[in-house]
Amino acid sequence: MAHHDESLSQKFFRALLRLLPFDFRANYQGEMEGLFHQQHRDVEKEGSLLAAFRLWKETILGIFTTAPRAHWEILKSDVFYAVRMMRKNLAFTFLAVLTLALGIGVNSAIFSVVHSVLLRPLPYPDGQQLIFLRQQETRLGITDLGFSVKEIRDFRDQNHSLSGLVEYHTMSFILYGHGDPDRVRTGVVSWNYFDLFGVKPLLGRDFTSEDEKPGAPAVLLLSFEYWKNNFASDPQIVGKTFEMNDKIHTVIGVLPPVPQYPNYNDVYMPTSACPFRSSPMHTESRTMRMMELFGRLKPGVSPAQARAEFSTIAANLERTYPKDYPVNVGYAATAAPLQYELTREARPVLLLLLSAAGFVLLIACANVANLILSRMARRERELALRTALGAGRSRLLRQLLTESFLLAFLSGVLGLLLAFDSLNLLTDFMARLTPRAREIHIDAGVLLFTLAAALGTSIIFGTLSALFSRANLASSLKEGTPGAGTGFRQNRLRDALIVCQVAFSFMLLIGAGLTVRSLIKLQSVDPGFKPEHALALRTTFSFSKYTNSDQSRVMVKKLLDRVEAVPGVLSATVSNRFPFEPEMIAAGPESVSFSFQVEGRQLEPGQAPPVSTFSAVSPGYFRTLGIPLREGRFFTETDDEKGPIVAIVNEAMQRQLWPNENPIGKRISADGGQHWGQIVGVVGDVREFGLDHAPVPELYVPQAINPAAGAVVVRTTADPGGLSRAVTAAIHEVDPQAAVTHTLTLDQARSESIASPRLTTSLLGIFAGLALLIAAAGIGGIMALMVSQRVREIGIRIALGAQRWKIVYMVLRRGLLLTGLGLTIGVAGAVALAGLLKSLLFEVPPTDALTFTGVALLLLAATALACYLPARRAAAVDPNIALRAE
Amino acid sequence: MFQILIALADGDKHGYAILKEVARRTDNKVRLSAGTLYGNLARLESSGLIAESPRRPEFALDDERRRYYRLTEFGRQVAVAEAQRMEEALLQARATKLLRKPKLAL
Repeated sequence: MAHHDESLSQKFFRALLRLLPFDFRANYQGEMEGLFHQQHRDVEKEGSLLAAFRLWKETILGIFTTAPRAHWEILKSDVFYAVRMMRKNLAFTFLAVLTLALGIGVNSAIFSVVHSVLLRPLPYPDGQQLIFLRQQETRLGITDLGFSVKEIRDFRDQNHSLSGLVEYHTMSFILYGHGDPDRVRTGVVSWNYFDLFGVKPLLGRDFTSEDEKPGAPAVLLLSFEYWKNNFASDPQIVGKTFEMNDKIHTVIGVLPPVPQYPNYNDVYMPTSACPFRSSPMHTESRTMRMMELFGRLKPGVSPAQARAEFSTIAANLERTYPKDYPVNVGYAATAAPLQYELTREARPVLLLLLSAAGFVLLIACANVANLILSRMARRERELALRTALGAGRSRLLRQLLTESFLLAFLSGVLGLLLAFDSLNLLTDFMARLTPRAREIHIDAGVLLFTLAAALGTSIIFGTLSALFSRANLASSLKEGTPGAGTGFRQNRLRDALIVCQVAFSFMLLIGAGLTVRSLIKLQSVDPGFKPEHALALRTTFSFSKYTNSDQSRVMVKKLLDRVEAVPGVLSATVSNRFPFEPEMIAAGPESVSFSFQVEGRQLEPGQAPPVSTFSAVSPGYFRTLGIPLREGRFFTETDDEKGPIVAIVNEAMQRQLWPNENPIGKRISADGGQHWGQIVGVVGDVREFGLDHAPVPELYVPQAINPAAGAVVVRTTADPGGLSRAVTAAIHEVDPQAAVTHTLTLDQARSESIASPRLTTSLLGIFAGLALLIAAAGIGGIMALMVSQRVREIGIRIALGAQRWKIVYMVLRRGLLLTGLGLTIGVAGAVALAGLLKSLLFEVPPTDALTFTGVALLLLAATALACYLPARRAAAVDPNIALRAE
Repeated sequence: MFQILIALADGDKHGYAILKEVARRTDNKVRLSAGTLYGNLARLESSGLIAESPRRPEFALDDERRRYYRLTEFGRQVAVAEAQRMEEALLQARATKLLRKPKLAL
């Protein structure tokens, strides 16, 4: 009984000892067991329960205090040893750290974007309850109609799923009373807009319901950025007054530095203060839609429930107002979580980049694993010796893990620096895709991710190298072959790693190749006009100054005469927008689309009416932009509201509505037949909403009929950029209060319009280039190792009369065989992942044969080059030296 | 650690003996356990203050699992230096009347 008891306590003690590091146990375990045995006997002799209790307490406590210290000591010596090894192999260390740092850096950078944009909740209290509402005409392909004043009231009154529903639209107004007239981007919002988002003003007060009542004194809230940049953060700003839209506006507060959704605005005003929103044209009509709606879900209500309710409301509206909601257009109302809405465009690009970055890391990992394996081959003797001297397997594993962790840690730090460095570029890029871009930064989550990436990779290498060193340890000492590591298993693994690198590089290169092809196609698309030597100036005139069309026609005439007199200007035109205008590309053609009817044509039951975009242009528009006339005539000075309404359509509309007829003389109406416009000309298609946007039916009317100037476009003899100042001065001569913003040449606008695919392409290209470099270097390295391992064999072959080219062929064949295998897997992978890219490609299928062939040839060429260098060295082996070296 | 050095000052000892000696000298105030004892021994050994003693006691008394430890010359110097430092500290404490001199037994 007593013996049994004793062995039990010994067993427990032995289990406790396992907490100590291996080396410590190897040294002291026997002694410690003996000591404890003796202590235990002493206590038994004493026979006191208290003494036994004290012994156990002290023993357990003692082990727990000693173990961490002992582990720390070992870690210190391992790190010391690892650093020494790394310094001894500087080239290896440098290569491995650099490769891994690139892999980790790329991932940290992309992950910081994914984290900030897709993963983190919106920076508003309970941001997941915020939703964005849409009205759609699905049959016409219009996904976001906007809301009219009356509709907002209906949705507000009829819903039960929202605790708040606020509206938003943005306008440009001119602010006087602070230096030069300042064009300010103005957010026109419901009084409880900021309350709904949970934003409290930094200074002053928020809007109240009183502020929104018609006739209330006009008030303004300033955005933090506008306050900081234009008023030098003046703490006395609250209470100051400015003139805007012929009214005195009082500043009541300043917003905190929150990200502004959906657009950046300089100032905010309540809805009643917007001259457009409160005009009878808007308040009386159900279809004058320009507002966006945001809602906050009541607690416990899901977005799906809210969507269902909005559908019901839409059905009610359709039933109650059949005239405003024609049955054929597919009218519907829906909603999506705001977070989803804000990141919709960025999501596919980000996922693509994240997987590309993941591939780069995988390739880097495979490469470093290979580097480590080949170094292990050289270190095998050292490790075998240490094993022989009594270092246990777990001890060796620990040492190797420490080494690889140190390597990965260094790479992680370097990678993080790289990530920091590239963040500005990425933020600029993402700003084109999501308003959340300004939230991008490196935070604890990203650091954690980097740490996890470094830890994960180090564990993989450490285990891998330990695993394969172990397999060879026994044999390597026995055989005593110098530079062993020719073990079958190890070579197999190395080959597999090479194949993986080639496969992943191929997939990345395919991604880059496809986007490059797509970009080239985009760039060679004919925009339908001549963007060279053209300058566009977005111009806002004071709305209150030109109250009737006569006044504005006179102003426009004066303006064009004055601008055309500027030296270097060939012609000038006024229109409400210009091709490739960044804001129009973002909004899409549906933002300026309307549906209409063709005289003498009845819609079949269930048939959707035709839809077209709409622009008002001065007579010189087509000539100034270089848009060709296909039929009929351009507008003339005499086409004004006194004569019959005339219109010009583009070829896309002709193809759709009059495929086999001449549209000249046909009449169309947009107001149910009250007014009819006669088509007088057909012009060429213009891809004004982006090169990748197929031409849509477009309708032009004379600017004189619809005086809403928004842009001045001039054609110049020479460099258009240099003229922007002179043209702006000319505009100000005619109307000193006009605000000119957004001066850009149409070439710039065109280049800007494809900036996002261009950046995606560059990023993918960088990733793929890195991958190719790493993979080629990896293959070259492995071939070099093979050559150095087989120097003797090669020497014998040469001595026996093998021709040099056969030696070269032998090395090349092996390298190319591995590449070929990798390519096969890569093709399969690329085809499998084709879907990821599909949405980002323009007129290039994701399995484009030309790209696949080209990329395969490129990879083959690169690896052949990488293998050729060691092959040449092999062929140059001097059999005398090779054989003597033994 | 200092106690272990003192315990080894008057002759080589094995672990159990050190533990007993320390307990005896300090009136059971310093109680070492297996973990703390060998943790300290390991560190003293690696910094060269003590070493494994080649001497073994008579065969009959020897336990093969036991190793004997001895103070190295360096260890002795360190122990002496530490003792002197403590003595000086004690003297200073007395000089400032922080501590009273123990009464001499007559």
